[in-house]
Amino acid sequence: MEKNPDKGFVALLGWSLNAVEAAETFDRRYVVVAPDWAEEYCEKHDIPYIPWNFERLNDRSMEIAHTLQEKGVDVAIPLYEETVEWAGAINSVLLDKPKLFGQAMLLRDKALMKRRAQLGGIRVGIFEEAHDKEDVVRFLKRVNQTLLKLDGDPNDPIHLKAFDKAGCLGHRVIRTPDEVDTIPDEEFPVLMESHLDGWEFAVEAWVHNGKIRFLNISEYVTLGYSGFVPATPELEKYREQITAQIEKLIKTFDIEFGFVHPEYFVTNDGEMYFGEVAYRPPGFKVFELLERAYGFNAYQGLILSFDPKTTEKEITAFFPKEVVDAKGVAGCFGVYPRRRVVSKLEMPAETEDHPYFESHELTPPIEETVTKRTAFGTHWGLIYFFGDDPHTMRDLLKRQEDLDFYV
Amino acid sequence: MTSDVDDQAPGALLPGLLQRLDEAIEALDSAPDFSKPTRLRRVLDGAKRVLLQEGGPAAIEARAQAIEAAGTFTGSDWAWPEILIPSLSAHALGSHDADTVVIEALSDLRILAVARGAYLHPTLSAENAHHHLTQVLAINLQRLFMPPSEAERESQGRLAQLARALLGHLAERIGYEHIVDQLIEEIWRILQQRPIQTEPVKQMITQIAICQANPDIDLGSSGQGADRLVSSLFGPTQACREDPGVEIYRDRLERMDGVALQNEATGFARAMHDTGLVSPYHAVLLRHLADHGDHLLSEAMGLSSTGRDCLLCYSELVHALIDQAVFAETAQAIYGMALMLERGILYQPPVAPALWRQLSLPLSAWSRERLAIAFGETVPPRTRLLEGVLCMLGQPLGVGQGNNPTCQSARALSMWAYNDPDYLLQMVAWAARDDEIIIHFEGQPISSMASLSGVATTLPIDLDPVSLLVVPHLDRIYAEMGRRCIGREGDPHRWINPEFHGWWSGRGFRINVDVATGKLESLEDFLRHFYASYHPYFNGNQPLIHPQPIGIAATDSAARFIGWHAITLLRVSLDPQDVMRAYFYNPNNDSGQNWGDGVEVSTAGCGERFGESSLPFEEFASRLYIFHYDPLEHGELASVPQESLDRVIAMVHRTWGADRIPDEHLTLNLDSPATGTEA
Repeated sequence: MEKNPDKGFVALLGWSLNAVEAAETFDRRYVVVAPDWAEEYCEKHDIPYIPWNFERLNDRSMEIAHTLQEKGVDVAIPLYEETVEWAGAINSVLLDKPKLFGQAMLLRDKALMKRRAQLGGIRVGIFEEAHDKEDVVRFLKRVNQTLLKLDGDPNDPIHLKAFDKAGCLGHRVIRTPDEVDTIPDEEFPVLMESHLDGWEFAVEAWVHNGKIRFLNISEYVTLGYSGFVPATPELEKYREQITAQIEKLIKTFDIEFGFVHPEYFVTNDGEMYFGEVAYRPPGFKVFELLERAYGFNAYQGLILSFDPKTTEKEITAFFPKEVVDAKGVAGCFGVYPRRRVVSKLEMPAETEDHPYFESHELTPPIEETVTKRTAFGTHWGLIYFFGDDPHTMRDLLKRQEDLDFYV
Repeated sequence: MTSDVDDQAPGALLPGLLQRLDEAIEALDSAPDFSKPTRLRRVLDGAKRVLLQEGGPAAIEARAQAIEAAGTFTGSDWAWPEILIPSLSAHALGSHDADTVVIEALSDLRILAVARGAYLHPTLSAENAHHHLTQVLAINLQRLFMPPSEAERESQGRLAQLARALLGHLAERIGYEHIVDQLIEEIWRILQQRPIQTEPVKQMITQIAICQANPDIDLGSSGQGADRLVSSLFGPTQACREDPGVEIYRDRLERMDGVALQNEATGFARAMHDTGLVSPYHAVLLRHLADHGDHLLSEAMGLSSTGRDCLLCYSELVHALIDQAVFAETAQAIYGMALMLERGILYQPPVAPALWRQLSLPLSAWSRERLAIAFGETVPPRTRLLEGVLCMLGQPLGVGQGNNPTCQSARALSMWAYNDPDYLLQMVAWAARDDEIIIHFEGQPISSMASLSGVATTLPIDLDPVSLLVVPHLDRIYAEMGRRCIGREGDPHRWINPEFHGWWSGRGFRINVDVATGKLESLEDFLRHFYASYHPYFNGNQPLIHPQPIGIAATDSAARFIGWHAITLLRVSLDPQDVMRAYFYNPNNDSGQNWGDGVEVSTAGCGERFGESSLPFEEFASRLYIFHYDPLEHGELASVPQESLDRVIAMVHRTWGADRIPDEHLTLNLDSPATGTEA
């Protein structure tokens, strides 16, 4: 697409084909900053590209910031959890706002981020860092003591999460001290949280000039398996409360522009608990689902919300009105084999024949033995659905959990 | 789950599915090339659902152009429908991978839209599309008429239904009752050209035979004409009429007397010469007859007095060849040998000794491996090669280039087999034994080992045994000769052809295209010289002596330029209707083509010999762009009639030369627009 020299010039940190496609077909100039394995592909397809390996921040970090500055780049956009601190470091140079780097570090560490949220008056569950297995056992006991459980009562579970990994990676649920032994030593340190009984959901919010421009609520049917947008009316009825929470969040974290992806619990009494927040696009193809449901390209929305040259008029015109403008409900389901030994992929006829079924990304099995699922989120491929009714969608996604895709 | 889905009438889902598919196609279409793969899933999954609905295939057919334009086939073999091999469709449609089945279905429906004229395709003509689909249906006849087998259901599930629905739709649109008859006609048309490679034809005939033998399949009144084809393969004579298997047939032969054997021999010979196909039983008989005297051998090969004489003169050689080359799996060797004997080429002093060398030729490891990959290991590679050598010597015009851009090499092999058989045998020996061929170019040796790349970027596999081994070498040498001509003015074939093909390619050279601009150049002068060199009325009634390499501008049925193509001019003479025709060899596997603007290449019925193509002289001249001639035999330039040249020039201007007319011509036309193109 014809590039507009009066608009911003953005750098995409990390390789995402869908993001590149969005940038290519948008009026902003762009450059992809990605590891050198992407070079051949970019050259072949004339994609503007700068090689960079995103290891831990080091003394060469300024180098990429200056390279981008010389090229005239206005802002860097993180596409993955691992590039969030890079974007912070780079943007603090490009935009001459040193505090952006500190903000990014805050958003990368789940323990720090919870403290900050707590300081801002946002409700969080009980949490603590664990450095070894003993810490975990102690926390499990103390949480259950607090809940006035007697010896012999079933424990309430606790959740363990890596400090700096995206979404469900490294997420474990622990119920008994015995289970603690299954955690490999190299996973420490971890963040421990008490379990909140309630309804977990995620929010995607595009922010520009300190204001929310589009707020989506993604409903999870079962965490790690499925999600859909827009949510059911039962969840959407909290939209006003949720919006207030997000406003509090961006104020607490001092977020002026960009995109946040927090997770919350709403308990039975309607209280919101903050889980965590990420400063990058969500997993589980939520952007793709949004495009399917609303027709706007969520990555282009990302570019708009980061670009300092975006005008008020432009961004207002870009985003549709939440829920009412949706053409339908888009959902996806992550397949994990239910059997221990599988030989082939076989789409259940009931799935494929459902009018909501759209497409799937499942591939034939490479190995016959299925490794035991230790954490959330390692699905074998996604199935996409689209239809009119959020309740039908919810039940349909739930139903998929009982089906065999690999036999 | 909502249950209202299940209650709906068949096909009721279709409008909704089509709307989704159209959206998916649009999303694919608007994506830049590099991210199309991420948009393809919705199209393939959407198309799959549509194809499973009643009326689905028709709906896809209607969207064929949009589906292709969006980039569904980009980056896959299906992006070039003109190179798709019909017989591979059976494998694709039987795949357990849904995407392979769906994309093959989309491609076939696209070809159907082209065949029916609804979609004017840039690289595929309606006629070729039609041929392609006839063959696709032929190769899938069983699938078309039979419910899925247990094995198919197990491996394919509902995909088996999808393939059937697709084939049913194709058959319906092409016309059910004509499929088998058209197929038979198609097989005969191909067989009339007597290709060396008969495997695809044999597969199609086998499919017909299977369908005929199956009581569940109602072919109606069609398929009557298949009897000769089926019997020539599976039961050409009294003693194997019911296809008893070669073991039983061998036992029967043991108990036959002279008269019975004579009957068998003539029966096989007739079937073989009728069709060009050889039954495996024929090989059993021939090996049996090797101990019963040369008279019966001659009968079994259907030899005329020329062939019989040759057989008797070289009896020991023929027996050795039968012993080593003729087996049930290599039965075509019999046809090759029979025609070779008929050609009398054994009387050329070097040929018989060269064949003895061939009989004991050790093959390199590489050659053995290539032959095993292409033909399997049921017979030893050297036996396979011997069969190939006999077939090429017997059917020089049956050489095909396969789906490879190596028309030059295929033409050279054919020309040598036709004109210089011992040289061909020398090439085979070098290639098969030494993995190297050296040809000299202007005094400098060119080695096929030292030359890195040829015209073809991958090693061809779809070739006869001789071509399989020799073509890669020739292709590299040909490309190297081209590289050595870089920087010379004009077309490199001027120098390459005589050195590559043989001394008999005339050193005089004419071309009617300016290489630098691609525009036509002194067209009339070019044509006048062609007439004076080759048209018997203007060259002193001199029949063509040696086959000559000729370059043509290949055009499709819409007379659009496709590319430059190498053929051999074999002879120019009057046909049975007293029309002056050019008879030529086309290395393209199927020579019966429609070249557009009324020019249809004939392969039978106008005095052609097996493997020859022919066109009336003027029509042939209208596609010509390069020829060689002997500058010392200039003919009668002045007596070539202007009207005839004008007609040819008009044809050139209407077809491949339409956008090659030099500017000054256009200016002239502007001055007097009413006089047409020839001012």
